[in-house]
Amino acid sequence: MSYTVVKGMQSEIFAPVTPPPVWAPVKKPLNQMIIAIATAAGVHCKSDERFNLSGDFTWRKVPDSTKPEDLMVSHGGYDNSDVNKDINCMFPYERLHELARDGVIGGVAKTHATFMGGGGNQEKFKNETGPAIAEFLKSEGVDGVLMTAG
Amino acid sequence: MLVQRAIEQAGIPTIIIAALPPVVKQTGTPRATAPLVPMGANAGKPHDREMQYNICKDTLEQLVKIDAPGKIVPLPYEYVAKV
Repeated sequence: MSYTVVKGMQSEIFAPVTPPPVWAPVKKPLNQMIIAIATAAGVHCKSDERFNLSGDFTWRKVPDSTKPEDLMVSHGGYDNSDVNKDINCMFPYERLHELARDGVIGGVAKTHATFMGGGGNQEKFKNETGPAIAEFLKSEGVDGVLMTAG
Repeated sequence: MLVQRAIEQAGIPTIIIAALPPVVKQTGTPRATAPLVPMGANAGKPHDREMQYNICKDTLEQLVKIDAPGKIVPLPYEYVAKV
């Protein structure tokens, strides 16, 4: 006896599928790695164009030499109050400087990559923004990326 | 997560500090850590240099240690935001 009564029936409940695994092996010890931050938290230089809060797939470069008071957040998808008090809550670049000083990591990248996650055009993020950020970080000689989001 | 996967696909290893571990698992993170933090303070409490330092340090150590894609390592730090 077949259990299928009606062919092509689908669940009314959205059942997300986890995509296939991706994996880039670590090639050197942590204390020799150059680390960059990539954050979906909507951090950017005050001099930069703000993100469009209703959805934005563009990204910004943040020089590592930027002072905390010259950074800001534009992101409509989470409570910004902590990150407005201390940018390191989502963009912990000052902690990376300390980790480099203490010899835990090899160094900090000259430039970090930032965007506004949690929405927007997912196809653009997957096929354009993501690969563009990846290519940029590669060209900067980055060995590992620390991310905040999710 | 799409961006993390794109960077990883390009050959650079990545790790994410996640406030919502089930979400990053579902969307296919290669590596993640999960301190007990709210979204918006993933790297720790504002102006708590020590907590932020330790969350970043432990996370970067897991970048090297995690040996299989999709693994999420809980971290023993807690910050509850006053809303």
